[in-house]
Parts: sequence; structure tokens; C-alpha cells
Amino acid sequence: MISVQDQVYDIIAKEASIERARIAPGSTLKDLEISSLDAVQIIFAIEERFEIYMPYNNPSFDVDTVGGLVDTVERLLREKRTA
Amino acid sequence: MHRVVITGMGCISALGHGAEACWQAMREGRSGIGPIAAIPTELLNVRVAAEVKDYDPLAHFDEKRLVLLDRFTQFALIAAREAVAQSGLPRAGGLGEDSAAIIGTGVGGQTTVDDSYRRLYGERVARVHPFTVPRMMANAAASHVSMEFGITGPAFAVSSACASANHAIGLAFDMVRRGQMRAAIAGGSEACITVGSLKGWEALRVLATDTCRPFCRDRRGMVLGEGAGIFVLETLETARARGAPILAELAGFGMSADAADLVLPSEAGAARAIAGALKDAGLAPERIDYINAHGTGTAANDVTETRALRRVFGDHAGRLAVSSTKAVHGHALGAAGAIELVAAVRAITDGVVPPTANFTAPDPDCDLDYVPNEARERTVGAALSNSFAFGGLNAVLALRRVE
Repeated sequence: MISVQDQVYDIIAKEASIERARIAPGSTLKDLEISSLDAVQIIFAIEERFEIYMPYNNPSFDVDTVGGLVDTVERLLREKRTA
Repeated sequence: MHRVVITGMGCISALGHGAEACWQAMREGRSGIGPIAAIPTELLNVRVAAEVKDYDPLAHFDEKRLVLLDRFTQFALIAAREAVAQSGLPRAGGLGEDSAAIIGTGVGGQTTVDDSYRRLYGERVARVHPFTVPRMMANAAASHVSMEFGITGPAFAVSSACASANHAIGLAFDMVRRGQMRAAIAGGSEACITVGSLKGWEALRVLATDTCRPFCRDRRGMVLGEGAGIFVLETLETARARGAPILAELAGFGMSADAADLVLPSEAGAARAIAGALKDAGLAPERIDYINAHGTGTAANDVTETRALRRVFGDHAGRLAVSSTKAVHGHALGAAGAIELVAAVRAITDGVVPPTANFTAPDPDCDLDYVPNEARERTVGAALSNSFAFGGLNAVLALRRVE
């Protein structure tokens, strides 16, 4: 089974047309020079893939870094399983 | 070139029915934002908006006519009736071929589109209302205004997303200024609070889930609004000759395109439209007292707009009163500039600057005087009203007090 991290990396690489090797947990979307339009497409693709709703404007979730995005997805998937 | 004045204005928004009610709420910083009531919310993550309240279409239109009118056209007609009544323009025989109707809208008949698609795709009913097309078309409001007031000159819609109303008013202004038209009915209308439209805005991640706090550190985004603002424009000579009320002079108009990002605002593009309006009006920057900001409450707009104002006004920027009334009437997209022009006109006529409501603490990157929470008495000799749209389209109107 492909890990959540791998799937998120794949989505970012595809939607933003960047080399997958450039992506690291500490990278921010800004570091990766991802435009705001690509960023919303990445969020949309993540939501579609995992069937979750990604929070925004919510300080209890870090969605600024790639690692934060992965953690958020994992947390939402856990919540969905226990719901 | 003629001097152009506003002799009538009408408005309907979350703040009330009529320009007076809307202005009073703006002045008091009384918010029209609240839980969405007019549409089902179970599919929505964002459940606040600035809806027009206590609205009964049958109080304004008979049933037979209503089947032809999307909600955005209804709003435009209601505001146009108020504006024309205030102006005292004689309606008998129609306003004629030397009058124009130019109404901005971001999308047009979104309620009609949403309803018919739900029927078709959701309820699998393979038939939609026969007036779906004439109701949803973006020019429906302009067409109905032309018909109701017998306007047989130019009539059309202008669409530039959130700058639609300012572009519409600017074009009408130019027609009257050049002497091409004796009078113009211009403004903007939008009825965008539908499930389909809200889902689209949600997905862009620019909507606040609480309220709209322009220029604040803890702002969370914009809140959708709806309504219409409509104005009667005439030359100063004709207005004086017939003893019409002269609310303010529409003195200049600046427009620009960023030609950069589809959704991120540009400081340079905004600054060019602001400077263009000043130049067109022949106003030195120091003459401006009040700016009704675009001030959406999004992370990007408020900082960019602040920088653009600093770039154009230099030292005078610190002496400007800058406020965003979107904190109370939400972002009414294609109607935004028109609803906000009510604020700019009344600031001039009343000598009161409306506040930026819901203000908590300023964003350190937003360092102007945003008139937090309390209206302020200030003689306003000249004012600007900013609109900066998705698509990088900017339109700024300049107003001046008529002595």
C-alpha cells in the first residue's frame, strides 16, 4: 500500500509540475514556488483522493509545509475511521 | 467635456432596503453578515453570508412579471426605481434614446442556473423552465431596466467580476461626460448566494467561516454578499436646469489590467488604476480625504491594496481615512462597487466617514488609518472607491463634492 506521504508527494509533483525529488517534509509551498492556483488544485486533488475535507484558516492544522499537509491528511483519515 | 453628477441612488443589500437604510448600517458599523437562511446549507462548509433579508419579491413585482426575473434582476430593478425616483427624472414617455442603462454583474442569473441544474442533474427531471435562458443571461438586468424606464439608447451588461459595477459606472460616466448621453442609469447587481456558487468559492479557500475583518491581523477571508446599487448620472447643467438633487460629482475613472496572475492581486496594477482615476479627475492626491477600499478581508488583497495606496499617495497616505464597508455588507462581487459608492457619496454629503467594522487588531503589514469600528466626522471634499477583480481587472471611481 502506498503511504499517505507518497500519495501527497505524487499529487504535489503532478499538480505543480515539479520534480518529486525536490519535495521534502520541511518544504513550504512557497519554497517550492507553487502558485496560489496550483496550491488550491493540490488541496482539491488531496480531498478527492482521500475523500476528506481539508480545513483552512484553522490554526490547529499546519497546512503551510508539505509535512504539515501529510500530517493533516493522516489525522483526518484517523478521525474518519473512528467517526 | 461636461461635468457629471449623481442625481439619484438606490441600493438593496444585507444592510437593508434602500440607500438610506444601507448607509445608516454602514455608518453604525452594523453587520448584515449572519448564518445563511435562504438556501439549504447541509452541503456547505461555509455557512455565513450577507444575505438580503425580509425580502418578498411579490411586494415589488406581480407574479406574471416575476417569472421573467432572476433575483439579480429583481435587485437591479428595485435599486433603479429608487435612484430614478430620487433624481426626479420625468418618466412619462420613457427616458428616450439619449439615455443609457449599463449594469455590471459578475455572473448574472446564478439562482436560475442553480435551480435548473438541480432539477436536471439532481432530480433527473428532463425539463427546465422555458424562461431559463432569458432569466439567466448576464444582460437581463440591463434589459429590464431599459424596458421599465423606456431607455432606448445604449443598454448592456458589463462583466469584470468584482470590478463590474465600477466598470459599468465608469463607462456610463464617460458617455455622459462626452455629451453622447443626457442621462445614464448605471450600477451593479449580483445574487450569488446559491449552493453551487458557494461551493465554488469554498474550493478557492478565500471565504471566512466567521465574519469579514478587513485589514485585521486575524482576518480569515471574505464573506459573500448580494444586492444592487444603481445611480442616475447626468450633466451638471441639465441637473441644475431641472432642479435635481446633486449628490456628488463623478469626477474621474481609472482602469487597468494586471496582466499577471488570475487570482493574486498586483500592487502595480491597483496603483495604476488609482493614479489613473486621480489624473482623470484632475485631483492632486492631497485633495483626497476618504477611500472606500476594496478591502475584501483576504490575506492577499488587504496588504496589496495598502501598498498600492502608499505607492500612489506617498506622505498623504497617512492622512487618508480608508475603510472597507465589506465588513458589514459582505462582498457582493459585481454589485460591490455600486453598494460601496453609496458609502462614498454619503461620506461626501454627510461629512461622515463610515468605519471598518469588526475591527480587532491591525495587521502589521496594513499600516493606514482604517477608521476602526467608529464612524468619524470629517469633511470629505473628494473620495475614491476602489474595486480590484479576479482576473487582474481594476477600476477606481473618483468623486468630488459639489459646492
